[in-house]
Amino acid sequence: MIRQNPMEGILQEAAVLENRYVRKWRHGGGMVVGYTCVATPVEILEAEGVLPYRVRALGAPDTEVADAHLSRFNCSFCRSCLHLGLTGAYDFLDGMIETNGCDHLRGMIENWNYVKDFTFFHYLKVPHIVDQDSMSFFEEELRLYKEAVEKRFGKTLTEEDLWEQIRTQDRIRENLHKIYQLREQENPAVTGAEALMIFLLATAIPSRDLEPILEKIVEDRKDHAFAGVRARLLLGGAATDEIDFVKEIESLGAMVVTDTLCYGARAFRPRPAGNTERDPINVLARAYLGELLCPRMFGDFQSRERFLFDAVKRAKVDGVVLVHNKFCDIHGVDNVALRMSLEKAGIPVLQIEKEYGAKADLGRMRTRFQAFLERIEERHG
Amino acid sequence: MVKKSAGLFNRLSSRLILVDLLPAPVVAKAGPFLASLKVGPPEIHSALAGLFSPQAGEAAAPFIKMIAKWVVNARKAAGRGKKVILVPFNFPTELIHAFESAEPLTSEVLSTLAASCLVGQGEEYWDMAMAMGMPDHLCSANTIELGSMLGCKDFSPQAIISSAPGGCDVNAKMHEFVAHHLDIPHFFLQKPPDDTGRGRKQYGVYLKSLIKKLEAFLGEALREDKLRSVLEKANRCTELHYELFDLQKAVPCPVPNIFSLFLYGTRFTMWGTDEGIKTLEAMVQVSKRRLAEKAYPARREVARCVWAYTSYYWDFLGFFNWMEEQGYSHLGDGLDLYFPSPVDTSTMDSMIEGLAGSAWNMPMTRQVGAESMSKAWTEDMIYAAKNLKADCVIYCGHHSCKQTWSVVSILRSELQRRLGIPLLILQGDSWIKRMTPISVLQQEIDEFVKNVVLNKSRPKRSIKKRRQKKLEAQAAS
Repeated sequence: MIRQNPMEGILQEAAVLENRYVRKWRHGGGMVVGYTCVATPVEILEAEGVLPYRVRALGAPDTEVADAHLSRFNCSFCRSCLHLGLTGAYDFLDGMIETNGCDHLRGMIENWNYVKDFTFFHYLKVPHIVDQDSMSFFEEELRLYKEAVEKRFGKTLTEEDLWEQIRTQDRIRENLHKIYQLREQENPAVTGAEALMIFLLATAIPSRDLEPILEKIVEDRKDHAFAGVRARLLLGGAATDEIDFVKEIESLGAMVVTDTLCYGARAFRPRPAGNTERDPINVLARAYLGELLCPRMFGDFQSRERFLFDAVKRAKVDGVVLVHNKFCDIHGVDNVALRMSLEKAGIPVLQIEKEYGAKADLGRMRTRFQAFLERIEERHG
Repeated sequence: MVKKSAGLFNRLSSRLILVDLLPAPVVAKAGPFLASLKVGPPEIHSALAGLFSPQAGEAAAPFIKMIAKWVVNARKAAGRGKKVILVPFNFPTELIHAFESAEPLTSEVLSTLAASCLVGQGEEYWDMAMAMGMPDHLCSANTIELGSMLGCKDFSPQAIISSAPGGCDVNAKMHEFVAHHLDIPHFFLQKPPDDTGRGRKQYGVYLKSLIKKLEAFLGEALREDKLRSVLEKANRCTELHYELFDLQKAVPCPVPNIFSLFLYGTRFTMWGTDEGIKTLEAMVQVSKRRLAEKAYPARREVARCVWAYTSYYWDFLGFFNWMEEQGYSHLGDGLDLYFPSPVDTSTMDSMIEGLAGSAWNMPMTRQVGAESMSKAWTEDMIYAAKNLKADCVIYCGHHSCKQTWSVVSILRSELQRRLGIPLLILQGDSWIKRMTPISVLQQEIDEFVKNVVLNKSRPKRSIKKRRQKKLEAQAAS
C-alpha cells in the first residue's frame, strides 16, 4: 500500500483513528476489537481472525462529553479516549477487552460500557504481582479470554493457530526492535516522533499489512542518519500517544532516541516465541504477565529501573524525560523513584507532569525542555 | 532531605502515652475539662471539644483509650521484642493481633489523628512528600503519615503490608514507594477484580501465601489458640457492629454522627481486642439510651444522610457534630460498609477462610476493588440508603479517590433511578483543609438539604394551579 515513502504513509495513517487499513478490513467483513493495555495478548484475537485495535486518543484535547461521566480528577488521556468513544469516533469497534490497567482506565471503560453498551465485552483480569499463584490465575484468565473470543466470533482455536500468531507477532516485535536499534544508533535513522507513529500504526492494523511496512521501513532507513542532534533523550512514563508532544521536544534540536513508554518499547518487549514450552497459553501468560514492565505491578520496581537504565546505556542518552499525565498516580509516584535513581547515578533527568493533549500546556513544556537541554549542554561544556 | 523536626508518630505517641496510663474515668472527666479551659494550642482544645462533645457521651473515653493503647503498643513494640507492621486501612488488623510478635499500625488512622488533633494538622508532612517531587494528586489519607516517615526522623515500621493493589492505585503506589525508600520488606495482598467464586478462592490463596511470608518474617508460626482468641473477640465486635447498624435505622437516628468515625476507627485498629469491644459496647450503650429517651441534638431530625465514601476529618471532629446540630444525621459513610461476618473458629482452616472473607469485605476492597467498581459500590450504597431510610447521599469528593471519582456519575444515576434519592457531589480533601474551607462545605450541604432534599417531600405544585393562583391574585388586586 505504501509505495514511495513509507514514513509519509505512516504519518498519514497513524494520525487517524479509523485508518485506511481498518476501513479496508471492515469493508471485507472483518471484525475489530478494542483493547486498552499492553497486558492484552493480541495473539488470541488475531488467531481468531479479529483485528486487535489498541485504543488511543492521538492527542485529542476534547473531553467535554467524557467530563459528564468521569471527573476532572481523572486523567485526561482516559477522558479524551472516552470522549472519542461516546461521540462515535470508535463506532468501528465490534467489542472491547477491558483490563484492570489502572483506576482511570477501569473507570473509562465502565462509563463507556454504561452509556453505549459494547456488543462484545470481556474483562481480562491481570494480577498486580508476578508469582506462581498469580501466574496460574492469569493463565486461567487467558483461557477464559480465549473462550469468550471463540464463543463470540465462532472459531475454535487450536494450539497451532495460537503458535502461528505467536510467531507472527514475534516477527513484528523483531522488526520493531530493529527500528528501535536504528533509532538508538549513534546517528539515529528514525526520529522519536516517527518511532511513535510507527508503533501507533503497528497496534492498529492487521499484521498481514504491518509486516511488509515494517520490513520496508527497516530497509529504507538502514543507511539513513540524522546528524547534528543537540541532545539524545529517553522519554519514559505514562501512556503517551501524543505525536505532537514528541515533535515539540525534537523541534528544539533534541532527539528522542529511545523510550520506555507503554505506547513504545514496553509493549514489544515480551518475546514468547523464544519459549520452548508446548502450551501456547502458558507461554503467553509468562510473556505478558512475567514481562509486564508497568508501574501498576508491585514488588518489581527493580525490573522497571533496570529496563530504564539498560535503555539509557544502550542508547547513550544525554538525559531522561519522565512524563506523566496529571492524576496518573502509578506513573506519578514511580517517576519520583526513577528520578531519584537517575539523579543518584548522575544522569540528567526532567520530571514532567502535564495535561494530556493540551496545546495550551506546550508553551510551559517548551520552556522546561529548553532549560533541560541547556542544563545538558552546560554539563557537556 | 530528612528534617530534624519531630515526626508524626513520635509527636502523637508522646501525647497518647499519658492517655494510656490514665484510668478511663479520669480521661472521661479530664477531656471535657481541658477542652473547656481552652489552654494551649487551639488545635488541641478544639479536638478535645469535638471528641468529648455531649453527643459522644461516655463512648469518647474508651475510644481515645483504645487509640492510645494501639499507638503506645507500637511505640513500645521494639522494647517488647515485637515488630511493627504498617498496613493500609483496608487490611484486617486482627491478623496482626493474632501474632505474638507483631503490632499493627494503620497509615490512614495515623493521618486522621494528625489532621484532627495535632498542631499543624499534619500538613507539614504532606509538604515533605511534595518536596520530594511527589504529585499533588496523591492521597493525603496516607501521604501525611508516609510523608513523615520520608521527611523526618520518625518512627519507622519493620515491614509494610499493602492490600490496596486491585482496590486503589494511589494507596498501593505510595506504600510501595515508602517500602522501597526505607528499604524495608513489603508484603502484598492483592485483590483480583473478579466477583465469581474463582476470584474469592484466589484471594484465599493470596492470603495464605501472605500468612506464610509473615510467619517467616516474624519467625513465629500463627498459633491456632491465639488466632481463635482474637477472632472470637472479632466476632463480638461484629455483633456490636450490627447492633449499631440496627439502631441507626431508628428515626430520629439515636446513633451519634461521630460514631461513624469511632466505628471504623475501631475496625482499622483494634478489632478483635478487648479495647475494641469496650469501645463498641460504650457506643451501643449511648445509642440505646438516646433511643429510649428519644433524644436528638437538634430540635428535630431534618435529613438523614448516608455518606458515599469518606467524610472530612480536619475540622477537629467538629464536622460530625455540626451536621447533627443542624438536624442532619450522618448515617455512616463508605468506610463503615465492610459487612463483617462471624468467623467460624472451629479449625485453623475455617479461621483463615473467615479472615479471607473479612479482608475481601473491607471497605474499598469490597466496593471499588470489585469486578465492577460502580456496581459493587452502588449496591452497597443502595443497601445502606434503603435500610437506613436515607433521604440523600453525600459524596465528599476527596480529590485523590480516582476510582470513586471515575464512577460517581453512575452512582448518582442509579441512586436516582432506583431509589429516587439525590446525591450531592462535593469537592474537598478529606484530610487537608487547603482545598475547600469547611464553611463552604457546610453551606453546600445546607443548601442541598434545604433546596433539594426537603423540597422532594413537599407536595408538587402544578403549573395549572400556579397559574390559577396568579390569576386569582391579580383579580383580587
